[in-house]
Amino acid sequence: MTKWRCTVCGYIYNPDEGDPESGVKPGTPFEELTDDWICPICGATKDQFERVE
Amino acid sequence: MKPRKIKEDVYWVGAIDWDRRLFDELIPLPDGTSYNAYLVKGDEKTALIDTVDPTMADVLIDNLKQLGVKNIDYVVANHAEQDHSGALPQVLRQYPDAKVVVTAKCKNLLMNMLLIHQNRIMTVEDGESLSLGGKTLEFIHAPWVHWPETMFAYLREDGILFTCDLFGSHFATSDLYVTDEAAVYEAAKRYYAEIMMPFRKVIERNLEKIKDLQINMVAPSHGPLYDKPEFILEAYRDWIYAPPKNIVVLPYVSMHGSTKKMVEYFVGALVERGLTVKQFNLAKTDIGKLAIALVDAATIVVGSPTVLAGPHPNVVYAVYLANALRPKLKFASIIGSYGWGGRMVEQITGMLSNLKVELLEPVVIKGFPKEESFRALDRLADQILNKHKEQKLIK
Repeated sequence: MTKWRCTVCGYIYNPDEGDPESGVKPGTPFEELTDDWICPICGATKDQFERVE
Repeated sequence: MKPRKIKEDVYWVGAIDWDRRLFDELIPLPDGTSYNAYLVKGDEKTALIDTVDPTMADVLIDNLKQLGVKNIDYVVANHAEQDHSGALPQVLRQYPDAKVVVTAKCKNLLMNMLLIHQNRIMTVEDGESLSLGGKTLEFIHAPWVHWPETMFAYLREDGILFTCDLFGSHFATSDLYVTDEAAVYEAAKRYYAEIMMPFRKVIERNLEKIKDLQINMVAPSHGPLYDKPEFILEAYRDWIYAPPKNIVVLPYVSMHGSTKKMVEYFVGALVERGLTVKQFNLAKTDIGKLAIALVDAATIVVGSPTVLAGPHPNVVYAVYLANALRPKLKFASIIGSYGWGGRMVEQITGMLSNLKVELLEPVVIKGFPKEESFRALDRLADQILNKHKEQKLIK
């Protein structure tokens, strides 16, 4: 599954790991994160992420 | 100070730090600050909302003793940062039955940063409430104002919203409520600029979450309380939602006068075209003043000499901060000078990646400004004027 990078702090969202601390289970694709999901490192909103090719 | 009564069975029990002049070893505090903690007594249970900076833990404990508080059931920690939760260990020692009430993320932080045992902590979900008997505390998860674990507590019967850092101001005063609106406005705007501005988009969501609450009073963790909540809510709406204004912020450093000469000419050229300019000599300025100016500005023009082939280190510091604070800026440019060469422009523009700004052609000259340098500055001023007109920032 595609990884996504935070353009503010560089955090990589890896769908295989999810974001368990924010209640996102491993295996959740980026597209399925709710719109109010926030970068766990810097607080950037979802629209500030870019696809890692 | 002594405890202050806010409403029946609701007290301010915090500490005022009149003499503090620096926060995080970074942020100037020209007006000192306060660490607000609140006591809410129900018919059955007693809750403390937030604590104080650990350096003033004894003030809080003494306030509680003055009120004759024998037992505390809950200590609500809206935010794990040390200036609000740092006195938790002392409070928990003094009140052995007390449980700390937090979000799940806050629990993790308190265990790691303040070494609080997990048995003393209970977590609450978003929207959960806690009855104290005749007083009900509702918890509203409000992440990222300004850490991931933050929440608000809402005292339903009295309509008091305890927002911790959101809406706060570093402002030491003996007045419980805002009396000097102009002074508090500046302090609250400084606070917003330095602490909250990077999280603008998230704050929008948090404002949305509280918009249907009956808020009679906003009780933040720094500065005076807002008994007229609209004053601070309106200010935040302006800082967050309003488009940037017809303002150019011009932070600069000059070592031998060339950049200074350019700045002087350029400020005149901008003012002549009807733009507002806020100029800051980075060797001398209070960096908080620069942050305040960035809240509303549409354009930043950085002035720098070239030193060791790059920008002056004070310029690097200011540009780094401006980028990290993520203001609403739309346009950026650079003016300055060099003796024999360097990569000043590339280094500065490389540091602006968070700002979704359009870069306008920099004016960087060799040596002291000459006639053609001033014409280039005129052209940059014209370009900024046109951009501000396109954005409808000028009527």
